[in-house]
Amino acid sequence: MASICLRHVQKRYDDVHALSDCNLDIANHEFMVLVGPSGSGKTTLLRIIAGLEHVTSGELRFDGARVDDVDVADRDIAMVFQNYGLYPHMSVYDNMAFGLRRRKMAAAEIERHVRRTAKMLDIESLLHRRPRQLSGGQRQRVALGRAIVRDPAVFLLDEPLSNLDAHLRVQMRAEILKVHRAVTATAVYVTHDQVEALTMGDRIAVMNEGRIHQVGTPGELYDAPVDQFVASFIGTPAMGFIACRVHRSPESVELSTGSVRVRLGDAHANALRRSDADTAIVGIRPERLTVASEREALTAEVAVRGTVEAVEMFGAEQYVHVRTDGGSITARVSRDRPIRVDETLTLAASARDLHLFDHATRAALR
Amino acid sequence: MIVQGVAIVVALVWSLAPVYWMVATSFKTELEAARLDPTLWPHAATSENYRNLWGGSLPFASFFANTAIACLATAVLAVAIATPAAYALSRGGFRLRGAVGHAILLFRMLPLVVLLAPLYLLLLHARLLDSSVGLVVGFTTFGLPFAVWMLKTFIDAVPIEVEEAARIDGYPRWQILARVVVPLILPGLVTTGTFVFMEAWNNLIYPLTFVTTLEKQTLPAALVLTFTGQFKTDWGGMMAAATLTTLPLMIAFFAVQRSLIRGLTSGAVAGA
Repeated sequence: MASICLRHVQKRYDDVHALSDCNLDIANHEFMVLVGPSGSGKTTLLRIIAGLEHVTSGELRFDGARVDDVDVADRDIAMVFQNYGLYPHMSVYDNMAFGLRRRKMAAAEIERHVRRTAKMLDIESLLHRRPRQLSGGQRQRVALGRAIVRDPAVFLLDEPLSNLDAHLRVQMRAEILKVHRAVTATAVYVTHDQVEALTMGDRIAVMNEGRIHQVGTPGELYDAPVDQFVASFIGTPAMGFIACRVHRSPESVELSTGSVRVRLGDAHANALRRSDADTAIVGIRPERLTVASEREALTAEVAVRGTVEAVEMFGAEQYVHVRTDGGSITARVSRDRPIRVDETLTLAASARDLHLFDHATRAALR
Repeated sequence: MIVQGVAIVVALVWSLAPVYWMVATSFKTELEAARLDPTLWPHAATSENYRNLWGGSLPFASFFANTAIACLATAVLAVAIATPAAYALSRGGFRLRGAVGHAILLFRMLPLVVLLAPLYLLLLHARLLDSSVGLVVGFTTFGLPFAVWMLKTFIDAVPIEVEEAARIDGYPRWQILARVVVPLILPGLVTTGTFVFMEAWNNLIYPLTFVTTLEKQTLPAALVLTFTGQFKTDWGGMMAAATLTTLPLMIAFFAVQRSLIRGLTSGAVAGA
């Protein structure tokens, strides 16, 4: 068990800034998820914590002690790799025992540890097999087993489920959380899948282009994204955005485009007064939008009118993609109301469900 | 289709005809082998040439043993030196990695004969001329660059995560090489060793230059030195000796041909 602290961490490869000024505190026994698109720097950050990469500048501390220059072997970490990284020439037992042997543990003790871990992961019957004789899910369990058998202080997972099929992924998500509860290690989990992040993380760090955009609980990220990137990355289907002109007068603040009518609440109005943005981006989560009649639209706090671009069927509900003059927006609505492509549709939402972002900086306006 | 068939037949005849001629002549009598109108196959096949090799005045068994020992030692030495070198070239983070790799490759481009004089002088000063050790040094000098590059392609193919897992498990670099990388490239080590062995076996010019005592000679050099005389050449005997010289190479080649081809082409195709 260890707390992890990153301060002003930078990583440069020649002219490429892989990480810029990353600050992150991970508490003891926390399950922290690093999420972001490919190339966002999340794996680089994980490898820096592991000691497989060195920081260009900045500090990394475990339990308050600097570890930037501490060798991988002395960091008391374990890692699960995306491609498992199992030793192909060793049996499952030897894969798990390899690290313990390095620690000069007695053979009987090693056997006890390996068998206990194998039992926990339900891989006892596979101990004599080689990795090539295992399925993807079994390999993943062995990789997990190899990591936790050493009882490390920090447990690092680099997209461990990305090679598994959808069904197995859901099963292994629960398995990993179960394992994390059973061990005392602090876990750092890298994924590009925001569903994985939301369902697994105690807290999540959202990364893009080498920067940490926001760190928070899944609820905080979903409800109060700090910028347009986090808002668009977290949530399925993604939040829709419409650019609106901001009109300020001494008496009022108004947003307008031809297709959107907004009656702003006090909080949003004040936020717009405080900013000097000429254009604001209105974001609305798909599930907050409802299909409205012309009459309902007149009384709604937010009304968006546009043309249906596409309709995706998802069993009981449908995702309706609507094009407006300020951008495209998606609504998740019931299938009770049949919707056709190219039809003109009016969507309504409550003003408190609006997210406002500065068009220039993309930062949330609050 | 026909053109391809014809091309294959021409290539086969072209490359196998000398081999056939060697084997056929080895079974001919001295008289038949020396005829001015050559016979395509032995009219009176005889194993006399082979019997003479073992029972004759020449120490053929010594030639065979000299060659086998020198070539085996060369293969083992070259692979032992090349493995850590290839590992450093494949995984090392040092600045001149690319330049060093290319320098080694450049060394390989030098014709065999260019190294002859400097090697001769080095062996002379080290008092290693006319010895198996000197021969092994010479063979290894020429075989090493190839061994390094061939092993590098095998090490490149080992997933880096496997090595990183071993680092996280607490192992230092040299133990990762010994306990993780070497077991994974075992076919590559055998293939490379075999290739170096075959190359040393075929080397004629080094033994002719570095070894002066006939009893210490290797097979190819002994063939040239003993079967050609001023007034007559014992073609049948020479071909029998040549056949026996070729045999271990053929066995070695067929044993590793699959991984040899894989080794030579690995990296050419993603996932190969």
